[in-house]
Amino acid sequence: MTDESVTTPETTPESAPEDELEATLTEPVSRRTFVLRSMAAIGGVTGALLAVPVIGFAVAPALKSGAPVRFLSTSVAPTLRSDTWTRIGALADFEIGVPKYVQVERHVVDGWVQENAPVGVHVVRRSEGEAVVYDPHCTHLGCPLAWSEGSGAFVCPCHGGSFGPDGVVKSGPPPRSMVRYETKIENGDLFIGALPPGA
Amino acid sequence: MRRMQRWIDERLAVTKVITGFLDRRVPGNIGWFHTFGSATLFLIVVQVVTGIALSMSYVPSPDHAYQSVLFIDQTPLGAIVRGVHHWSAGFLVLLIGLHTLRVFVWGAHRYPRELSWVIGVGLFFVILGFAFTGYLLPWDQKAYWATVVGTNIAGSAPLVGGVVLEFLRGGEQLGAMTLARFYGIHVWVLPASLMILVAVHLFAVIRQGIAASPRRHPILAPDSALSRRENYELEYAAEKQAGKPFWDALLKDAIVALVLMVAVLVLAVVAGAKVESIADPNSITYVPRPEWYFLDMFQLLWYFTGGLEPLLIFSVFTLAMALFVLVPFIDRGEERHPRRRPVAMGLAGLVVVGVLGLTFLGATGTPAGSVNIPPTEGMTEGQLAGLKVFNDEGCTACHQIHGIGGHTGPDLSRAGFRWEPADIERQIVTPKDEKMPAYDHLSPERLDALMEYLVSLK
Repeated sequence: MTDESVTTPETTPESAPEDELEATLTEPVSRRTFVLRSMAAIGGVTGALLAVPVIGFAVAPALKSGAPVRFLSTSVAPTLRSDTWTRIGALADFEIGVPKYVQVERHVVDGWVQENAPVGVHVVRRSEGEAVVYDPHCTHLGCPLAWSEGSGAFVCPCHGGSFGPDGVVKSGPPPRSMVRYETKIENGDLFIGALPPGA
Repeated sequence: MRRMQRWIDERLAVTKVITGFLDRRVPGNIGWFHTFGSATLFLIVVQVVTGIALSMSYVPSPDHAYQSVLFIDQTPLGAIVRGVHHWSAGFLVLLIGLHTLRVFVWGAHRYPRELSWVIGVGLFFVILGFAFTGYLLPWDQKAYWATVVGTNIAGSAPLVGGVVLEFLRGGEQLGAMTLARFYGIHVWVLPASLMILVAVHLFAVIRQGIAASPRRHPILAPDSALSRRENYELEYAAEKQAGKPFWDALLKDAIVALVLMVAVLVLAVVAGAKVESIADPNSITYVPRPEWYFLDMFQLLWYFTGGLEPLLIFSVFTLAMALFVLVPFIDRGEERHPRRRPVAMGLAGLVVVGVLGLTFLGATGTPAGSVNIPPTEGMTEGQLAGLKVFNDEGCTACHQIHGIGGHTGPDLSRAGFRWEPADIERQIVTPKDEKMPAYDHLSPERLDALMEYLVSLK
């Protein structure tokens, strides 16, 4: 990074460094002081010219998602995002009230890697014509959630968080419900869209 | 050799600098505990050297990272270089911890060495930063999930958390951008910070001299007519007078470095550095567990719940970090001997016990649904049915029985002895505690079986 150009000037022998410093600080603006101050100013500007593009470049990806600023920040699912609608399957193939984990191919943009990658989701069909689709990550710290038949909950293996089939926290540290995909049903087929920003 | 030395000296006069450095006097009571610092420095050098070698065969992109790590392991000596990098990283975290503890117990963070402490704490955080960013690079399951958790913890800061998280991940999702960023931070940003901080830390050590071990009675009685600085300088001069030349203290450092080098080499050959299967963002059965040096923090996260939980994590970690930095400004008395600082020693002891305890709990605690309590001999059929309910319902996620299971809820090894049956049943169906989910969906038969089993535990 930039080097501050202001360095304490080398004083004459170490006999009385404090007096020397005192003198340097109190003397009227000499040519020496002027040069040093100018160098500090030039150094500051030069450093800023270098730092602004570098820091801007490094921070830019952090500002792209447009996630709302929240007082209480929460975990964000690591899932690869996709903006396109993706077909999950025929709604009729899902049993009502029984969560099912499925993986679907989605077109994702991951930096310079653009590909069709599998993305896993929990599908819960609620009624004849209605289903919810959850992202499978705990809202505590993002560990993977699996449906546990025995306890009737999505269970997190990290800190004992669990969620009901409705996605609501049943136990443990998670601060909010499971993250839901936007969904639509067309001709009896279930589709997922985007995740909410910052979720 | 001699002629070459003379030739160089005629131009640069280096010998004088080196002999001056080696022959300067240091306090006499410098022992094995003082080698923690030099051992830390030695391991940093090992990390830099092996890291540079590894970077020549590693690709920081999700489509090649894992394969390039496997490739390193198949290259002659590659597995050993990676093994040394892995093991000396672990030792480094351990030794910087021991060095910090030694400095605190000796009171060496006190006047006039407060800044050395502050820089040292900076180095501690840089080392943990290395550990955190280094772990993602193999792009295996452990790497991926540890980074999911780690970036989420960093993201729990109020207001700025979201931006911090996205800065670390390079966006919301965890993928190619994250890996490249972690690589850049691991091999450029952190090493640069490390070198600057190490240089300043060493400058301070050479400028001020090594702190003498604390004495119960100083060599010279402090003269109240003199300033703190003057008294300190007289005492330190007396320590050096009674001390020895620096070269005499260096031998121990060399021996410790050799022992450490042999240790990491043996571990690299015998145990190696494990790689798990390739990172799979869609595996929902994986149980994330961090490397041992983050287990204490990971375990701590069990104990916060509810909506304010992110704020609590953040406050606790920030407060702990701030206190760590400010130690020399809080613990600032003149007395350096540990026996005369009972409160400071007590607190240090608590921190050590806390870190070891949390690490132990984190290491032994068993994850949800992954373990079953085995039946014991002489169990009735009803009790066996109850045990099956206990295992099927995932009770082991939070409860331990005879050493198997989690630590969030109470140990149930002697449940029948500790509680009334009616109280146990009420706790299962309608728990008072918000950490415990209500198991009100159990059929009467299953609940009865479960009760029979739990009551039998005495």
